[in-house]
Amino acid sequence: MKLAVAVLLAALPAALQAQSGWVLTQSTLTWHVVHPMHEVAGTSHAAKGKGNCNGGQCDFLIAVPVKSFDSGDSNRDLHTIETVRGAQFPLVVVRVHLAEAALSGATIDADLEVEFAGQTAHYNHVQLKRASHGDEVEITGTVPATCSDFKIDRPSFLTVPIHNEIPVTVDTTWRAQ
Amino acid sequence: MQKKLNERTHDLKVHQTLGLVTVAPMCAAVIVAGGAKSKRNRADPTGPEIGPSSSGVDLHVALGSATVALYGATAYYAIIAPKIPGVKPKGAIRWHRDLVWIHAPGMVLTPILGAMALNQENNGERVHGIASAHSYVAWTTVATYGASIVAVTWPIHLKFWEK
Repeated sequence: MKLAVAVLLAALPAALQAQSGWVLTQSTLTWHVVHPMHEVAGTSHAAKGKGNCNGGQCDFLIAVPVKSFDSGDSNRDLHTIETVRGAQFPLVVVRVHLAEAALSGATIDADLEVEFAGQTAHYNHVQLKRASHGDEVEITGTVPATCSDFKIDRPSFLTVPIHNEIPVTVDTTWRAQ
Repeated sequence: MQKKLNERTHDLKVHQTLGLVTVAPMCAAVIVAGGAKSKRNRADPTGPEIGPSSSGVDLHVALGSATVALYGATAYYAIIAPKIPGVKPKGAIRWHRDLVWIHAPGMVLTPILGAMALNQENNGERVHGIASAHSYVAWTTVATYGASIVAVTWPIHLKFWEK
């Protein structure tokens, strides 16, 4: 018993060292919609996020309210919330699982799980760029989302629907805790 | 809340469709307006004016009435669309809403002034007084109505076929 306690106490500092956390300090998420006659973007800075690394593996969770996206037109934003069932599913949740070693490279190959509009989609091998700014790390990239991934009925104008692709550009800044 | 948003979108889609349909009789009414006016006889410029043909007047009145009816239906769907509390109008929609203060009174005044003008012509009088503003009010209404449509459509990619 004494031996077991001694082993545990000896292992504790190493375990504590292996655990690290990240918190999202700044974010700019922008969806892009293309219609043959229009190009529109909606931006949110309201994302919250945190990451936990344990045993060489990291899990990141980012959540952003659907209603926080601003396209510069309140009417369009309300239509967007309606179209993506934002009142029923008010959050977009992104989960990322990756090896801790991947966080040190200039590019990160990430597998994303995105919950949006009551649906879950997976995007594998999304290339994210990483840049260090002092004690903060900036991660940028584009999530190649489409309307069909989330069973979103594409809105139309003059009977012509928007393009299926709704890429979301992501610019996030993280700080180690 | 989602139900309210769905209802709002439905009502505003009908509003959009009816609004675009309204453009057709409105433009047609403007195009045939010349046929509903008294004209000066070119062979006798100093003589009395020649009254419009009854078919010309009837066509203009019919198209004008259709415009007003469709405009009323368009406005109805915008008015009944559920309002979302806490959302302040922002962006192009503000222009779209503000222009209502010009084209809505214009849509009421235009047929009234038109009826007054027609009445004066039928009495053999030259159109005078406030009735003579019929075409100016009509043009202002058409222009602001067009601007209202452009406001919610802007910015338009003019070379959309290149996408």
